[in-house]
Amino acid sequence: MQKQRSLLALIVVLIIAAIVVIVKFPVPLGLDLQGGSQLTIQVKPNEEIKRITERELEAVQTVVENRVNGLGVSEPVIQTVGQDQILVQLPGVNDPEQAERVLGGTAQLDFRRENAESRAFVNNRQQQIQGLLAEQQKLQSAKERDEKAIAANNAQIEAKIKEITELEAKLFERTGLTGKNLKYAQATPTQGSNWSVALEFDAKGGELFAQLTKELAGTGRRLGIFLDDKPISTPVVGQEFEKTGIAGGRAEITGTFDFESANELALQLRGGALPVPVEIVENRTVGATLGRDSIQRSIYAGVGGLSLVLIFMVVYYRLPGLIADLALVIYALLTWATFALLGVTLTLPGIAGFILSIGMAVDANVLIFERTREELRAGKSLYRSVESGFYRAFSSILDSNVTTWIACAALFWLGSGLVKGFALTLALGVAMSMFTAITCSRTFLMLAIAIPSLRKPELYCPSLPASNKAQGAT
Amino acid sequence: MKLNINKQRSLWWGVSLIVILAGLVAMGISWQKYGAPLRPSLDFVGGTRLQLQRDCSKPENCAKPIDINAVRQVMSERGLGNSSIQLLSDERGQQQGILIRTKTLNVDERTQLQQTLTQEIGAFDPKATQIDTVGPTIGQQLLSSGLIALLVSFAGIVVYLSLRFQLDYAIFAIVALFHDVLITTGIFGILGLVQGTEVDSLFIVALLTITGFSVNDTVVIYDRIRETLKISPDLPIDQVVDNAVNQTLGRSINTTLTVLLTLLTLFIFGGETLKNFALALMIGFAAGAYSSIFIASTLLSLWRERTGQSQNSNQLSATSDQ
Repeated sequence: MQKQRSLLALIVVLIIAAIVVIVKFPVPLGLDLQGGSQLTIQVKPNEEIKRITERELEAVQTVVENRVNGLGVSEPVIQTVGQDQILVQLPGVNDPEQAERVLGGTAQLDFRRENAESRAFVNNRQQQIQGLLAEQQKLQSAKERDEKAIAANNAQIEAKIKEITELEAKLFERTGLTGKNLKYAQATPTQGSNWSVALEFDAKGGELFAQLTKELAGTGRRLGIFLDDKPISTPVVGQEFEKTGIAGGRAEITGTFDFESANELALQLRGGALPVPVEIVENRTVGATLGRDSIQRSIYAGVGGLSLVLIFMVVYYRLPGLIADLALVIYALLTWATFALLGVTLTLPGIAGFILSIGMAVDANVLIFERTREELRAGKSLYRSVESGFYRAFSSILDSNVTTWIACAALFWLGSGLVKGFALTLALGVAMSMFTAITCSRTFLMLAIAIPSLRKPELYCPSLPASNKAQGAT
Repeated sequence: MKLNINKQRSLWWGVSLIVILAGLVAMGISWQKYGAPLRPSLDFVGGTRLQLQRDCSKPENCAKPIDINAVRQVMSERGLGNSSIQLLSDERGQQQGILIRTKTLNVDERTQLQQTLTQEIGAFDPKATQIDTVGPTIGQQLLSSGLIALLVSFAGIVVYLSLRFQLDYAIFAIVALFHDVLITTGIFGILGLVQGTEVDSLFIVALLTITGFSVNDTVVIYDRIRETLKISPDLPIDQVVDNAVNQTLGRSINTTLTVLLTLLTLFIFGGETLKNFALALMIGFAAGAYSSIFIASTLLSLWRERTGQSQNSNQLSATSDQ
């Protein structure tokens, strides 16, 4: 009895903990439920790089990450899959076309030269704007406000700003030196805690780079390094390279880098330098409304399935059925809390696995109760029957669950995304069902037997021969 | 109710054989027709599936019903004439959606197609759009990883059962598993021909779940056979198996029933994606219960009779005949 009491206390604690967990940690929803795009990007080898290694994959991943950040999607997931694929999940994305276009393009790294004329022009316009702004202030603070003049001045300022934006796009000219010519980029330590980024070009790239740096050295004009048309670094070439440029195909970008920023730039450069093509080989996009529909349908299915099973158990197994139902509800609570704790992302197949596990969770109880009935029919006492019901059903329960786990393990190990979710939820569900059947059902049944008014064998086995009834009650 | 399963075993085997043969014939016809034993969805062959729904919050947008011929026209103008086009009805029974299955389209091709369709039949709601594009290589990966998973779990089950029971138990359990898998795929082969039901990657998941669950049933019966053999080693194996099956029959029926009940709700409420999944599981679990009772156990008793492995079989025939 003592053991039953402490088990009961444990169960109550678990239920309370489960409810707290369910309230505090919502289970994250998969893209098929909340809506969004899932893209698989295949990294392909070409003539120069015949095998995709971890380094190439990491570089491509960096490029993809930058592009995803550019899309402004909240909470994206970007991960490598297998040897040569990258999986991108974009929750709630409304424009899958744009995402696909941006992510599927080849990364373009190129080195550009700042145009002296444009730069001078921009500087000139900027000065003019300064003048106009000063004028504007004067006009506004004048005693008699000349609204007409203010408006005219404003229009002028806007026109200049527009000119500058247009010019800025032309500020850097392409030089023909691209990521293809870059062999290598790596963060290297310099004095103290400073870091720089070392570059190495191939033969043609070395020549182009020498020429480019010779031209820019000492002029104050910058060298623009662009990834996908966005500047990622704009270093200045020192005056000492005026005669020959930076020759030899090696260069170093110095500045106020720490390890992180130097490494990030190197990664970006390597990624852009990577001349391997990428292709989107899978796109699964689900609209938000459809996802909501799926959740609703799943709730109907789950509630429907659970109630049918609950009703069946009470009708067929009477009092033990009622106890099994209680255990089943506890099972559902605990399993859901486990999902929340482990951060299992809930997908449509995952929900199916959960609903299915409700149907299968009864199995252990059915095995035990059938066994109990048999023992009762064989003329054993109620207490002994219940005891041996649990005892003798255990090996069947264990064996049958282990085989389900074997199938789940195979699915989890070899399956992909959605399939993994199903395998995990089913395996957790089966484990939890074993726990609740053995602890909850058992404790409740033992407590029920302890209550005299519930100690009637016909509550456990409806069609018991009269001769057995008297015996059973003892 | 008491079943003499060993007396009528040729009847039970016959029933299974007929269903399996019918399935095999259907799969053969499918092979001719689709180049695969089951009608594959784009999960396996690659392609683009577009599910579009008209935006009925816009005035006049949903006034006229969708003209499927206009859609066909658009498709064939783009050289996609052999795509499958289907009208979808929403929960109020109104046909405001279309489902198009076609070869793999890239972003631009797809966007253009969507634009043309918008001009022809009205604006679509982007929130109710579903796009699935699967490259052929992904399909291959899914298929091969699925089949490997199936084989690995078969091997795992054989190893486990030979450890817990004996090798012959394990082998007949696997025979029963093949039976369940064959019946499920066979019936889907027939459904593919009759109703155009396609199999996707969830079908492989279903097969694996069937494997896990149906061996469940077999194990419970085996467990009982082992127990009975221990208690009364003198009983002929036929009798042992018959008793074991009958003693566990209530349990077999009830657990299958509860699982089928939950699957039925999934089938009814689960939506398009889960419908076929639930159906495959229902067929497989039913076949699993059947094969545990009528195939795995009868094969075991036949085998033990033939090899004389049933305990003390010589003495046994003398004592049990009385």
